[in-house]
Amino acid sequence: MNVHKLWEYREYVNINGMMLTSELISLLQNSLTLLQIENHFTHVQYWGQLYAIDADYHIACGITGDAIADRKYFYTTDFKFWGLLPKPKRKYKLLSLITTFPFRGDPALKIKVLDEALEDNHPDKCRLMKEESRLAATISNISDEAEICARGQLIQQPDGCVVINPNYYGLTAPEAKLLKSYLHIRQPQQRWNTNLLTRQDYNYSMDFLDSIDQDIPSGCWSLSLEKSGSVAYLRSLYWPGMTFFHKVRTPDAGFLYVGNGRKNMDVPFLL
Amino acid sequence: MSQTFLLEPDIIAATENVMPDLNNDLVMAKNFLKQQSAATGDSLYDHLVDVVHKILSQKPPDIVDQFEQYSWEVKREKFRPNFDLLNDIYLAPPQLAIVRRLDEMFRLIASKNQKLEDMGEEEQELDLEEDSTKARVADLIEHNYYFREGGYGLPDSECYALYIALQMLAIKEPVATVRFFGKIYGTRSNYYIAETDLTIEELDRRIREFEMKDMPGEGEGLEEAHPQEVEEQKELSDNTEFHKVGEGEAREEKPKEPVPPKLPPEPVSTWQPPPPIPVERPGQGVNRKVYWVCSQPGEQWICLPDVTPEQLRVARLTVRCMTGDLDAEVLTFPPFEGTERNYLRAQVARIAAATSVSPQGFFTYGSGEEEEDIDLEEGAGDLAFNPNPFYQGHTLKDLLDPDLTYWVHHGRYILKQGRTLWWNPNADMEEGVEEEEDEGPPPVAPELGPALFTSLAEDARVEGVRAWAARGSSALAAERALATLRSALWPGAVAYATTGKRSECMYIGWGLKLQLPNFSPLQLPRPQDEYLIGPEVMEMADPTFADEEAYRIAHLPPPPPPELPGEGEGFGEEEEDED
Repeated sequence: MNVHKLWEYREYVNINGMMLTSELISLLQNSLTLLQIENHFTHVQYWGQLYAIDADYHIACGITGDAIADRKYFYTTDFKFWGLLPKPKRKYKLLSLITTFPFRGDPALKIKVLDEALEDNHPDKCRLMKEESRLAATISNISDEAEICARGQLIQQPDGCVVINPNYYGLTAPEAKLLKSYLHIRQPQQRWNTNLLTRQDYNYSMDFLDSIDQDIPSGCWSLSLEKSGSVAYLRSLYWPGMTFFHKVRTPDAGFLYVGNGRKNMDVPFLL
Repeated sequence: MSQTFLLEPDIIAATENVMPDLNNDLVMAKNFLKQQSAATGDSLYDHLVDVVHKILSQKPPDIVDQFEQYSWEVKREKFRPNFDLLNDIYLAPPQLAIVRRLDEMFRLIASKNQKLEDMGEEEQELDLEEDSTKARVADLIEHNYYFREGGYGLPDSECYALYIALQMLAIKEPVATVRFFGKIYGTRSNYYIAETDLTIEELDRRIREFEMKDMPGEGEGLEEAHPQEVEEQKELSDNTEFHKVGEGEAREEKPKEPVPPKLPPEPVSTWQPPPPIPVERPGQGVNRKVYWVCSQPGEQWICLPDVTPEQLRVARLTVRCMTGDLDAEVLTFPPFEGTERNYLRAQVARIAAATSVSPQGFFTYGSGEEEEDIDLEEGAGDLAFNPNPFYQGHTLKDLLDPDLTYWVHHGRYILKQGRTLWWNPNADMEEGVEEEEDEGPPPVAPELGPALFTSLAEDARVEGVRAWAARGSSALAAERALATLRSALWPGAVAYATTGKRSECMYIGWGLKLQLPNFSPLQLPRPQDEYLIGPEVMEMADPTFADEEAYRIAHLPPPPPPELPGEGEGFGEEEEDED
């Protein structure tokens, strides 16, 4: 969510009972604006919050040029110092999925992860992982699977650069009821024309991303229109706590993650 | 012609002049631009005029970067279909249905308030009685304010409508107290849940109904009926067996029909269901509170049925999302008896039992009339409690203590049985001695859960870490700060307590418990043995050719002349049958 619009969005965001307090918004706007200036970001987004035992992590995302490729994630526990998250390694992305231990709130903490699928004497049975790496890996996992935007919010320019659409006017009410109108913010994993071929009003500059209606199983996103149909909410069942909201026919849209950073593997049983 | 550019009439006049010059080129170009497209009847000239006009009138920034989009929008505006026929029809905004419902609710509350006011003016001395008839509604707006301070809660718009809806519940239904329990998300719509105590009359009525429906003797009667039925079935199956054999004998004369082999009697299940655990009566244990549910403020509140121990047991063994439809089927293993409304009620009971927390001393054992009744019936353990009038509040430091010793549960622990009060399955030993033989020693140790008002410090831990996280609401404005508590076991369950006398808990979430590492469905029970273990059902190695040959040679009849192939085969068949 755009940091500079948090005051307007606070009434729309409610994730498992969590709402933004005035103090949190003030702290975020102050510290993230400073962060934006230091790093020359064109956009700064508040990404969400990861529950930890001692102090919760707050995550922000800065965008310089390309809205998909040039994303940098920052974390903090006290709003005084925002640390740049390291690039997630594939090894840690896999390990973080099998870690059940909650986050501690100390980025330097080293935790042991036991891979129970391996045999007892296997050298990789017990791995060490720094909490910072785990945080980066978890956020990367969530971003890949559950970061979404409304169709048209991101557009690809003819030179291939993806930008946040400055003239976005929002989805119409019928469009907002379709899962097809929401796209993953990630490098597309489907073929480039998958999305184009499945819709009649295709648009090369908008439909270059994967739409979420292809996620498996169908129903892993819960779409609901609330406030008498004027706000669309999308909640991910795989990552409980990931919520996307979009005010119909306005440019207001954004996602926020608030949760314990654990993927819910029980989705097939839930539906 | 000293002018370089001409006005339009001049240009048109100039077209007659076909000599190559600048004006002629201009005219040619303009004509080209004015060519109408066959499909749309539009020309580029008009389009450019429109685009430039739009840009100049709207003056957007950085137009050169989004020029294509502008052009596209202009085109789209032009192709707006013209629904002449529908021009006079007014399309109502989509909010209409909800507004109607809310409006009805507001009117009801307003008229009720008006009536109360009139009554109050007339007979002021009857105030006391009025207080007793009017339900007490917990002040959701105020609680929500504190929740919002702590970073949780509901949006204001939702909160206000909900508060009025709770008032409506208090007016329409026979309830004595109303409290907002929480919100449970569903895949199609969400549930708002209100927690109420019934009025004494209504409670009595329900207890009478409950006793009529569910006489204590009835369960045992069913029990006894079961073995009889089983025996009957056995007899029946035996009979059919005889029949079959008899038929087989009768058909013997018919050629080619293979003689059905003599089958052993059909196996009969020896499994007997454990005695059903009796349901706790309304107003007691897990059914102490009555829950009402609606999916939109303003809708009719629907009463959730009482929960049974069996439902709680199954709900603990399964995971499922709510759909938002109270009559939706619940497909789980083990099978869940009831629809989603029963499932929702079971989950609410579990959540209420696990996540009702308050600061120490906030509630105290009260002394109401109901409590004594219960005591007489069931013994201790189901005492009523009331807000403590002498509660003074704790300091923020105490409330935020990571050991959580200043927070206590005020939800009754649900035992494994699915009741809060332990029920002794061997209470009526005299009648059921035979049944209990296989259960083990008759005196069963009573299950004991933690007592009411047990400190959170004694809660089970999640991965060795406390299941609750306490947070202060503010670091900057310390004098306004309050403490919030968040459950890790039931994501979405929160509670707050101010340093003063306010505290409340709420649940907003999917109604799912955290299960580490993840949920694994219940294993199917081991299949029962159909037959007693004996040579006929035991698995053994097939005889090899060498074995059969040895057997044949050993059993060769002494006179060598012609071999009897039938005999050898017969032996072989018998052996196969044994397998």
